[in-house]
Amino acid sequence: MSQKRLKLLWLQSITCNGNTHSFLNHPDLFSILSHFELIYHPVLETSYDIQALLSGRLDCDVLILEGSFRQEGFKKGGIEVFELVKNYAEKAKHIISAGTCSTFGGIFKQYDPDSISGFCFNGEERTESYEKYASKTISLPGCPIHPKWLSYVLMMLSHGKKIPLDELHRPQELYGITVHTGCVRNEYFEWKVDTKGFGLKEGCSFYENGCQGPYTRGSCNKILWNDTSSKTVVGTPCFGCTEPSFPKTALYTTKTNMGIPATMPLGVPRRAYLTATGIAKSFKIKRFEERIITYDS
Amino acid sequence: MIVKKLIEKIEGEAELDFTFDKGKVEDVRISFGFYRGIEEILAGKDPYDALVITPRVCGICNHAHLIAAVRALENGYESAGAKISLTDKAKNIREFTLACELIQNHMKWFYMTILPQLEKLLDDRSGENHALKASYFSSTITKALAIFAGQWPHSGYAVPGGVTCDPTYIDVMQAENLIDESIRFFEQMVAGIPMHKYLNIDSVSELHKINGDLARVLRLLGASRMAETGKSHDRFIVFGDCILFKAGKSMATTVSNVDIQYVEEMLQAGTTAKAVTYKNRFFEVGPLARAMVAKEPIVKSLHKRYKDSLITRVFARVHEVAILLEYSKKLLQNLVLNEPSCTLQNHLKAVDFEGVGVAEAARGSLIHKTTVKEGLIAKYEIIVPTQWNLGNSSNTEQGVAAKAMIGSSDPEEAGFIFRAFDICSVCTTQ
Repeated sequence: MSQKRLKLLWLQSITCNGNTHSFLNHPDLFSILSHFELIYHPVLETSYDIQALLSGRLDCDVLILEGSFRQEGFKKGGIEVFELVKNYAEKAKHIISAGTCSTFGGIFKQYDPDSISGFCFNGEERTESYEKYASKTISLPGCPIHPKWLSYVLMMLSHGKKIPLDELHRPQELYGITVHTGCVRNEYFEWKVDTKGFGLKEGCSFYENGCQGPYTRGSCNKILWNDTSSKTVVGTPCFGCTEPSFPKTALYTTKTNMGIPATMPLGVPRRAYLTATGIAKSFKIKRFEERIITYDS
Repeated sequence: MIVKKLIEKIEGEAELDFTFDKGKVEDVRISFGFYRGIEEILAGKDPYDALVITPRVCGICNHAHLIAAVRALENGYESAGAKISLTDKAKNIREFTLACELIQNHMKWFYMTILPQLEKLLDDRSGENHALKASYFSSTITKALAIFAGQWPHSGYAVPGGVTCDPTYIDVMQAENLIDESIRFFEQMVAGIPMHKYLNIDSVSELHKINGDLARVLRLLGASRMAETGKSHDRFIVFGDCILFKAGKSMATTVSNVDIQYVEEMLQAGTTAKAVTYKNRFFEVGPLARAMVAKEPIVKSLHKRYKDSLITRVFARVHEVAILLEYSKKLLQNLVLNEPSCTLQNHLKAVDFEGVGVAEAARGSLIHKTTVKEGLIAKYEIIVPTQWNLGNSSNTEQGVAAKAMIGSSDPEEAGFIFRAFDICSVCTTQ
């Protein structure tokens, strides 16, 4: 490698470590990391220890942030983590907010919504850090982060390529589509066939079981989880974990108005939805009422 | 003299404050950072939301939280008069995914904590990238988990009445291949011998048959005389009747029954973590406790010679991987796919109830208690395994990990004894 490797520093704030462990499952983990000089990481062996990290004196080109933030009161080894974050954010050429907590505040924000937030965003609102750091920040929400989404961003940075972002600084390639895109239950959605309770491979979870896939941005069904599946594939509703509003409540139940899902598929006007589903529903299609596989018992 | 040590590269960080007297550790205070308030976040939410929120307690044992949460809900609904009976298929799938998470955890701990830290401590470096093995193994076994649970970490696929997935034979065959691959890894890398030969080892005198990375760790521990350090109270407790584990407590040579009503949490000064006792006494939880209560022959044999020392504790956790891999394979082979995955077709509308759910997580017994009033969570309590092991010494007795470290002459060595408990700060403080 002729180019000088970028120095990568992974810093945790208020977190469950889920993003760390999600990324550790990347099948090409060490090939990806070989493009970087790993300065600090919460569990992988690195050249510097936590005391060196806390001194604030390490170099850093790419800063990965995990967890939500509070300005004061969250310390490691006596050091305010938010001060440390700002110190490294200052030096970094690129900042990646890895996961929903560090991007929007996520679950831990709900404990103290007035003091806890993401780095550049507090829900959808901009934080004080936005003005200073947003120009070099890439948002990668998801609870946890998808390992391949992170590796895409890291590889783009290591190759010096520019990533097209949306208004919340999310890569368009990952968040320009919804979780619904590529779901194996799409036919059932098209013809408005509900899944009957839980535990069936047939039927769509949007109508009763709370699936937020049609209005949640993310590529969970294009780039599968653990290279193999996704929530909606196994009949679990999408909980909207990439969204600034995560987590909402009653996550296994669809909120409805007069029997119609209260939230429309992303960008679809209510009238268009009602027209299309009204027609779809008027046909009874035998194949969608049957089991896909029948076993001899 | 007080020596402070910040322990990193665990799940989060922990601070150890050692009190030294005549060159030896006299006591140690264990403290963890920030309280994240998961229990309070749950108050006022729909009871089912615990299935999504509680896994976010911990990035490495999230699935155990899901299983404990769904059991608490099922127990609560039943206490309110509902009848819930799971099919064998649903039970087996839950067992399988939980076993996969434990296996994942133990191998990461072995390759990312024990091997590198032991090499560093003894300055006996192999130059190997142990984390590469950890990552390969972990991505393999969590793929098997995700076939049923959709993803790892942070699945929400267990719901009252069963599971949301409806696996086909393709799924089961893929999962079986991944378990075979994990077994192959264990044989070639960890134990260095075929699985059936490894599982036949039932006494210390046969341990020499083991090769591979496990043999290296046992040798390093033996040669450095660290094997016999780390002894604690020699009292063990298990609450979760799941996977292969039986509930019970083991003291001296007796195994007896336990009752969850004697479990008590208490606040501790100087840390956000609470300590837990059973009838006012500290007990060790985790793989060593499970093996002692189940009377696992090779662990009992090690215990007979070394008591609850470092070598017994380390071995018990690695050994559990082999047992769980064998068991996982059987679970897959016994799945009857035409049974229903979930026996409840609608959300239950019980308005007021209390439910308790227990699961064996990687680090030991995990307890969830949910109190629902007027259809919403009024109170949620989580007691995690590390609270048992890492409670600080009380007026009457020393904490479990603290006692294991007491007497050591070196904070670095004591730090390693501490890590052998498989430390997780995020769980401990929630």
